[in-house]
Amino acid sequence: MQRPLLHIQDLNLKYQNKLVFDDLSWAIQKGEQWVLSGISGSGKTTLAKAFAGLVDYAGEIEINFDIESKLPAKVLFIESWYQFKNIEGVANFYYQQRYTAQQAKDTLTVNAELAHYGKENDLAFADVEPILIALRFASLKNSQLIELSSGEHKKLQLVKALWLKPQLLIIDQPYVGLDAKSREKLNILLDQACADGVQLILISNEDELPKSINHFAEIENGKLIEISAQEIALAKSNNELGEIPEFLKEAPVYSSDLIAKMVDVNISYGEKQVLKNINWEVKAGEKWLLQGPNGSGKSTLLSLINGDHPQSYANELYLFGNPRGSGESIWDIKQHIGLISPEFHWYFDSSSTVWQSVASGFYDSVGLFQQLPYTKSKQVDELIAYFGLTENKNDLLSSLSLGKQRLVLLARTIIKNPELLILDEPCQGLDQQQTAHFNQLVDELCTNGMTVIYVGHYESQLPSCLEKRIVLENGEVKKIEKIKKENHKVQAHLELID
Amino acid sequence: MSNYFNTLPLREKLNQLGVCEFMDSREFADGVNALKGKKLVIIGCGAQGLNQGLNLRDSGLDVSYTLRKEAIEGKRDSWKNATENNFKVGTYQELIPTADILINLTPDKQHTAVVKAVMPLMKKDATLSYSHGFNIVEEGMQIRKDITVIMVAPKCPGSEVRAEYVRGFGVPTLIAVHPENDPQGKGLAQAKAYAVGTGGHKAGVLLSSFVAEVKSDLMGEQTILCGLLQTGSILSFDKMIEKGIDAGYASKLVQYGVEVITEALKQGGITAMMDRLSNPAKIKAFEISEEMKDIMRPLFQKHQDDIMSGEFSKTMMEDWANDDKNLLRWRAETGETAFEKTPAGDVKISEQEYFDNYTLMVAFIRAGVELAFETMVQAGIKPESAYYESLHETPLIANTIARKKLFEMNRVISDTAEYGCYLFDQACKPLLADFMKKVATDLVGKNFNEGKDGGVDNRKLIDVNEAIRTHQVEKVGAVLRKAMTAMKAIKTA
Repeated sequence: MQRPLLHIQDLNLKYQNKLVFDDLSWAIQKGEQWVLSGISGSGKTTLAKAFAGLVDYAGEIEINFDIESKLPAKVLFIESWYQFKNIEGVANFYYQQRYTAQQAKDTLTVNAELAHYGKENDLAFADVEPILIALRFASLKNSQLIELSSGEHKKLQLVKALWLKPQLLIIDQPYVGLDAKSREKLNILLDQACADGVQLILISNEDELPKSINHFAEIENGKLIEISAQEIALAKSNNELGEIPEFLKEAPVYSSDLIAKMVDVNISYGEKQVLKNINWEVKAGEKWLLQGPNGSGKSTLLSLINGDHPQSYANELYLFGNPRGSGESIWDIKQHIGLISPEFHWYFDSSSTVWQSVASGFYDSVGLFQQLPYTKSKQVDELIAYFGLTENKNDLLSSLSLGKQRLVLLARTIIKNPELLILDEPCQGLDQQQTAHFNQLVDELCTNGMTVIYVGHYESQLPSCLEKRIVLENGEVKKIEKIKKENHKVQAHLELID
Repeated sequence: MSNYFNTLPLREKLNQLGVCEFMDSREFADGVNALKGKKLVIIGCGAQGLNQGLNLRDSGLDVSYTLRKEAIEGKRDSWKNATENNFKVGTYQELIPTADILINLTPDKQHTAVVKAVMPLMKKDATLSYSHGFNIVEEGMQIRKDITVIMVAPKCPGSEVRAEYVRGFGVPTLIAVHPENDPQGKGLAQAKAYAVGTGGHKAGVLLSSFVAEVKSDLMGEQTILCGLLQTGSILSFDKMIEKGIDAGYASKLVQYGVEVITEALKQGGITAMMDRLSNPAKIKAFEISEEMKDIMRPLFQKHQDDIMSGEFSKTMMEDWANDDKNLLRWRAETGETAFEKTPAGDVKISEQEYFDNYTLMVAFIRAGVELAFETMVQAGIKPESAYYESLHETPLIANTIARKKLFEMNRVISDTAEYGCYLFDQACKPLLADFMKKVATDLVGKNFNEGKDGGVDNRKLIDVNEAIRTHQVEKVGAVLRKAMTAMKAIKTA
């Protein structure tokens, strides 16, 4: 009999000194394509890293490559988080940096990065072209890494993996940040890779998967249990949501009925125009859904509202009733807003503790530089308890799983009960139950009159309070409309626009 | 023009050298008000120019850029930097007459030409701001009497000035008002508001003078910051090659070692840096750094004396007039050293290994920091000023070495610093020749603790710790560092 591709015997694995797997045994036979699911913090990522030899473990992990295969005898693990450094090797970026035009080129271009990767792994450049085209990435070849959006960074990781085609490809959260069309394309590309002999382990809780997937497993309490295709989509056991803290029940006090107004707003970097003639008005108390494919300009649009874009000053833009550039500081603007986005998370100061991170939301700073008055520090404690993070409150943010880090930053986003919540893919990295909980919380905050702008690529994972939507395509407003509600479900009516 | 400092009577020399006050955060309660509604015009749009301008505008101030006609017509990088970020850009003739505050962020060497060109265009009672005092103090530039002259100098590269601001913090900043040019007494209020506009007030502001800034800045950059790091790096690398250590390993250890070692310095001073060594290694590092201090003291004193007397700036300006002949020759020579030409090997060096295998550099840095600090203080510079120009800046310069070795360091620092660095390096290497003959690979290249039993004499360890911890640079540093603990680590290694 053929030996299995992967064989595990009595595996013991720790994460942050806590045993997550105890005497695990498992095998992946030739031709099997797996999906691993499990709640956030269940150990999925740690297990995958062990397969790729990236973490220490006790026990046995045996990988039997096919020596006759043309594919590289490699295990490639694609992290859910992208990494890049500047030309000088420093990864000391800040999240507004991509909006600032600077002639001194700081990071590599996509092309140079791919050339480097190709050379390192002995790959033919001709082979990457069709992948770039399929993922609609070809037009970004001359962009610098710092200029890419989070969805585009995810695509770059996937492009590299599909180009390399290792014998065992493990992808942690392959769909995070991708728009619907790109997710479809990715599945087709993964199916092709499987047909060429690649074996997959996808770590995902999603149910739109490549057709080739033929095995499913769930990780629960340190055990790996094979399940059926249907079970993966089922909601996990449900804990009741606690009562939200009193201080978040207060209605926000608006200084103006007009939250944001844009008149013919244009943003470009050199020749490249990223926003074209945007006209949009957000009134106090409105709940907006912002949609558009990866790279359509969503984050740039939001950066204008959050005071993060240097080009705001030459555009006709009103924020909280005042024309932009009329003597206000960016801190005056930010004090009205709670913002989270994938980039914001990526660039956040991971040397802060959980408590400091949440508290910094009061001052809109990345890291805490001030002493909190007593009432505010009580509120931080309360909100941390509400999010179930009390036992982690003194831990460094960087020591938590990405899902937990995200929860911390969500708490930071709402801590000051702001007038405007900007939620740009807030639930990335959360499991279904956490997502449902957070969206319920957003709905609750909305009933108190908070204004919301929400970005989400998953139609099935949106809060129900959203009532209007704006759709961007290639930097232009494609549509502004009311969301029709039927069966109390938003998603029933949202066609697949991206 | 003659050297301004040398025109002063001794009393006034001491008076200006002694301006040094670490400002309380309550001093900044007025925010940017002193500059609100005023027109800020920045000359130059390089890294400092662009990033300071972005911060000032994001603090609600009115900022535009003025560039030379050729830069605008040629659509040079400075023009692109400013226009693509939606700043108004105009020629000197267009914008300078409108400026309430004119901010000069051009390189040192251009100051005389720039200031001579802009001064006739400035409106009456306007303010001229510098970020370095060389032009005023060493070149003796005379500014029209109605004009207020201030200095605001963030003590970090431009990119950090921006990065720290947008995260809600700032970088330590030095401010000053030129006593000869403060006709309305508004200089200090404006300098404070400027520091708030760039976020500096959150990380600590030191009130200094043009004189104190220049004399301490020149001393720091020539000796510990650039000069000694260059000398130490080259000697260490050459020693390892001589003793048969793998060249790739040696190159990596030297390139990244200073950064890793000085990160400890940044967070906890000499004490923290020395505490990263084992007890025997610490005692050894202490002993050889004492020896190095004795060897190098006359050289440090000579540099300080030449800076105070104006001899240094005089010779350097002669080289400027001679098309930078010496500077360019020395720069080319640095590019040719074996260390520069050996690429860092593809070896993994753990953070602790940088300390254990590079004890010599720890000793170099202790000797250099303490010596520079002591020499400055003996020359009448206040301890706080001396701290900023020695210990505080060492990790920042070390970071540029990690990026691209010495050539990169010398490219990033000012030409003034680079010139002084070469002067020091050339004099220092021969001084240390005998000392280096005794150095073996346990101090550089191999783990100092290998084959030793780790035991030390109690009394000796206590004495060494005491000497390290009670040094004045540690006492001053503890207070100043408290204000900037929140600064992020810049890491490449």
